[in-house]
Amino acid sequence: MSMLLEKHIVELLQERDEKAISLLYEHYGSTLLGVAHKVLRNEELAQDVLQESFVKIWKKSDTYDASKAKLFTWLFRITRNTAIDKLRSVKTKSDKEIQINVSDVYNLGVNSTRPEFMDVRDNLGKIESKYQIVLDALFFQGMTQQEASDELDIPLGTIKSRLKIGLRELKKIYGPVMLLIPALKLFHILSS
Amino acid sequence: MKQIQQSILESDLLEKYLMGTTSEEETLRAEKYIEMYPLVRKAYDELQDNLEFYAKSHAVPVPDGLKGKILTQIKKGNRAGNRFTRFAMAASFAILVSAGASYFFWSQNKSLQEENTLVNAKIDNLQEEMREQLEDVRNQFIVLQNPETKKYKVTGNTKAQELKAVAYVNPVKKLSYLNVSNLPNLPKNQCYQMWAEVNGEMLNLGIIKEADQKLLALPYSDNAVGYITIEPEGGNDSPTVENIVANIAY
Repeated sequence: MSMLLEKHIVELLQERDEKAISLLYEHYGSTLLGVAHKVLRNEELAQDVLQESFVKIWKKSDTYDASKAKLFTWLFRITRNTAIDKLRSVKTKSDKEIQINVSDVYNLGVNSTRPEFMDVRDNLGKIESKYQIVLDALFFQGMTQQEASDELDIPLGTIKSRLKIGLRELKKIYGPVMLLIPALKLFHILSS
Repeated sequence: MKQIQQSILESDLLEKYLMGTTSEEETLRAEKYIEMYPLVRKAYDELQDNLEFYAKSHAVPVPDGLKGKILTQIKKGNRAGNRFTRFAMAASFAILVSAGASYFFWSQNKSLQEENTLVNAKIDNLQEEMREQLEDVRNQFIVLQNPETKKYKVTGNTKAQELKAVAYVNPVKKLSYLNVSNLPNLPKNQCYQMWAEVNGEMLNLGIIKEADQKLLALPYSDNAVGYITIEPEGGNDSPTVENIVANIAY
């Protein structure tokens, strides 16, 4: 996201303007839903978590400190923690009551036919799984590099290098698109 | 300094801080290092960018209607929050008023209770006093009305010729009273004192202040003798024999 748009949203949040939530949803909704989905692996629960997360974001908006974290980092933390809490709460219930799809294959529903997401999905497959495993462990499962090394039985040095290479590969594929989309959105907002 | 920065980067602190899984102490440490060391700041910023980038690559399309639901819930929360604030203010005010009133009534109740205890004690005292006086009057009545009661006229000797008193003695009920009807005036530094010799022992019956027509109870004994003496002001421990002004044998 452009710095200008991020600044604009933060200002709206601090002014307790509900428009901030609308903008956040438009720009981060699908990304944060992806975060919740990655943790829970269940479409319905992930949507519940996204809703709860946005309510928390609104309630906690005065606690955001731009000098300590970028806006997305703050949103990510709230969403991921809400998703982990939800995962724990459903795990305590009977497995018969709630079926969590543990498969790595996403149930994307009707919206998955939208072309921009199809591109992302298709291209993700282009990154070797050994990089994806490391990136998932670090970003979604909340493991430290040392924990990932222990859990995946991969030396710490290899974890570090796979993280770097994985990100580089990812940027090669999405870099230009990821930069272009927010720029176009900002242009759309400012011109409307 | 480079070594310190390197060891920070090699530790897991930044990753944990990025994910928001640090303890309070670790958070403070991470924030301090990010502020102090440019390399650490750079690494943290990169981690944040990578996180955003990677998360975006996993974006899942949002379903229709979810945005509306979220905005409705937030609007509802705001209204509830406002309602709650108003309710909380009203409740706080009510609690304050109630606390004030409670304290007022409590303190009033306490003072009334104290007053009540005092009044009850006074009533008890009066009752006791009345009972004693009634008993006294009853005894006096019994003595005075009893046919066995003998009446003796007492007059003063030469030292107090105007002294006039009547003694009532009832040997059956073993009660005796003295009614002083007239006492000659004395200088201010002197007073009349009443004594009774009972079974060889001299008893001090107190100072006779004035001829008030009240009956003065005398201790009863066979062959008892009562004396009235003139004593220095305030009374004496033993009678001054030369100052006896009257004696009553009863």
